[in-house]
Amino acid sequence: MGASQTRTEDVFQELSDKTGFSLEQIRILHRRFRQLSGDEDTISKENLEKIQALDKNPIRNQIIEAFFDKRNQNDGEVGSSREIGFQQFVKVMCHFKPPTLKMTTEDKEAMRREKLRFLFNMHDTDNDGTITLDEYRKVVEELLSKSGAIGLEAAKAIADAAMLEVASINVPHMEPHEFYEGITFEHFEQILKGLEMESRMNIRFLDVDTSTMHCGKSQ
Amino acid sequence: MGLFFNPFNNLICILLGISLTVWFTMLLVFIIVPAIFGVSFGIRRLYMKTLLKVFKWATLRLERGAKEKNHLLYKPYSNAIIAREPTSLEEEIKEIRRSGSNRDLNSASEFEMSDIFYFARRGVESIMDDEVTKRFSAEELQSWNLLTRSNYNFHYISLRLTVLWGLGLLIRYGFLLPLRVTLAFTGVGLLVFLTSIVGLLPNGRVKNYLSEKVHLMCYRICVRALTAIITYHDSENKPKNGGICVANHTSPIDVIILASDGCYAMVGQIHRGLMGVIQRSMVKACPHIWFERSEVKDRHLVAKRLSDHAEDKSKLPILIFPEGTCINNTSVMMFKKGSFEIEAKVYPVAIKYDPRFGDAFWNSSKYGMVSYLLRMMSSWAIVCSVWYLPPMFREEGEDAVQFANRVKAAIARQGGLVDLLWDGGLKRGKVKDTFKEEQQKLYSKILVGAQEDRSRS
Repeated sequence: MGASQTRTEDVFQELSDKTGFSLEQIRILHRRFRQLSGDEDTISKENLEKIQALDKNPIRNQIIEAFFDKRNQNDGEVGSSREIGFQQFVKVMCHFKPPTLKMTTEDKEAMRREKLRFLFNMHDTDNDGTITLDEYRKVVEELLSKSGAIGLEAAKAIADAAMLEVASINVPHMEPHEFYEGITFEHFEQILKGLEMESRMNIRFLDVDTSTMHCGKSQ
Repeated sequence: MGLFFNPFNNLICILLGISLTVWFTMLLVFIIVPAIFGVSFGIRRLYMKTLLKVFKWATLRLERGAKEKNHLLYKPYSNAIIAREPTSLEEEIKEIRRSGSNRDLNSASEFEMSDIFYFARRGVESIMDDEVTKRFSAEELQSWNLLTRSNYNFHYISLRLTVLWGLGLLIRYGFLLPLRVTLAFTGVGLLVFLTSIVGLLPNGRVKNYLSEKVHLMCYRICVRALTAIITYHDSENKPKNGGICVANHTSPIDVIILASDGCYAMVGQIHRGLMGVIQRSMVKACPHIWFERSEVKDRHLVAKRLSDHAEDKSKLPILIFPEGTCINNTSVMMFKKGSFEIEAKVYPVAIKYDPRFGDAFWNSSKYGMVSYLLRMMSSWAIVCSVWYLPPMFREEGEDAVQFANRVKAAIARQGGLVDLLWDGGLKRGKVKDTFKEEQQKLYSKILVGAQEDRSRS
């Protein structure tokens, strides 16, 4: 009780200030973290792989990998960790926060860029800053069934076509000897420019923070 | 004859008289007078805090009881961590693509880079909140609010807890319910009486001013009759004359909640009985829009009357609930487009109830109006939040449906509700995907199916 509780509260408060989640949301996330980790302090890949609902997701591996990807921690490191603690967990969750009505345009732009970055990292598995044809093909194959209506060849064809379209948008006049290396982050942003992400890549956290409620009008 | 003037009888009469007087004076001072002037003593807030503490204690006792017997507590529905969207793969991908470029809706046929959004989000949602892991967790139980209607763990109630619950029952039915019923009758009675009086005045500024005061006062009394603890956010965006106020609908109480903070022109069908009396007297004081039953079917008439009202800048903003039906306050269903076809500013409002103090949702197939009101008045309190969103206009080239969806999304986002594409009247089908390959097959079918169509045509 006592001392350790206040220390955890301080940690939560600090996290809340850093990430923009409310204190109540951080508490809820912490509860979920403990559930997933089996009451330990860190989560490993096995913990996430046990989630049944995740089984039906075609890009399950990429998503799990995204949690352990150091690039999503925004502190300059690359590579993949074996385990993550609560702070890293929350930081990854940050990518899925919805924008608030009070954000400025610059903030919204920054948030949008972070979300795009997250998706970019998911594609770019070798951390070289570009999504090559092979990497993209891999994602497309994961998304489509290996044994279903679309075979491997068709999946390849679709991936190639998509890359071609990307190339034609971004580098309209390519010389015959030039070779499109891959989609850089700027190209990625360009392709998805018109897309309304704000309501698509969001997870709405349910909380009604009654501690701030009071009768009558609010300030 | 001599027995009649029993001094004991006299004593009882005197005591009764005194207590009634005290009761009514307290009622007047603490509830009705503040309602008239729109101030608050903060009693309800204190009440709410005390209740929360009591609930916590009750929950702990339940947990202890369960632990002693080494059982796991059954959580019928725990507070979900996130709002999940049960839209199907196809619909969602269509939405994503539609928002991305100006292509037509039937382009769910080609592979797009943005499709990955859907899967990424679903994946992270599963990590955040999944049914299986959550169901039997041995940690903090959703707090029990001492109402048997929301408790499923009866065998863990100890003696102390039963006593507390009994006390709660006594307080709610013995003290709170009569109090609230008295207030409700007072509020409604005053509304009918005073609006009729105001209606006798000639039209003009005095009449409007008085009508506004009367309406606000009576609604505030009604709010106290329900012990509703409401927080209003962003009041600078409150609806102004000549506009249309649009809100999500959870229960008939929504009207009282909104009308106690501002004056609106209501829209509705004329009822018989008590409701009819109230409606008729309200319309004497200021113009509301009441329709006869036969007129409701005529959409042009409805639209015309609404736009006539909206054009007249001296008339109050119209209050409409476009969902058409009460929804259970976790989502916002499709908005009917009629109210968005009129040329007027739309002021969206989001209302969100706190489920900890009781479920405000009116399931009209299960409960009639009277039993619903009784349920509301015998629960602890109704706690909710109201957000006034900035006004929206219909833009160039946007039709009513798209505008309606845009407003709906704004309301859902603010209230933390799920934005559903479905008509409130349709039944929800279950999404039957169980394995990864099922999803993959579905996705590939979407792509292949359209290709086949194209090669055929």
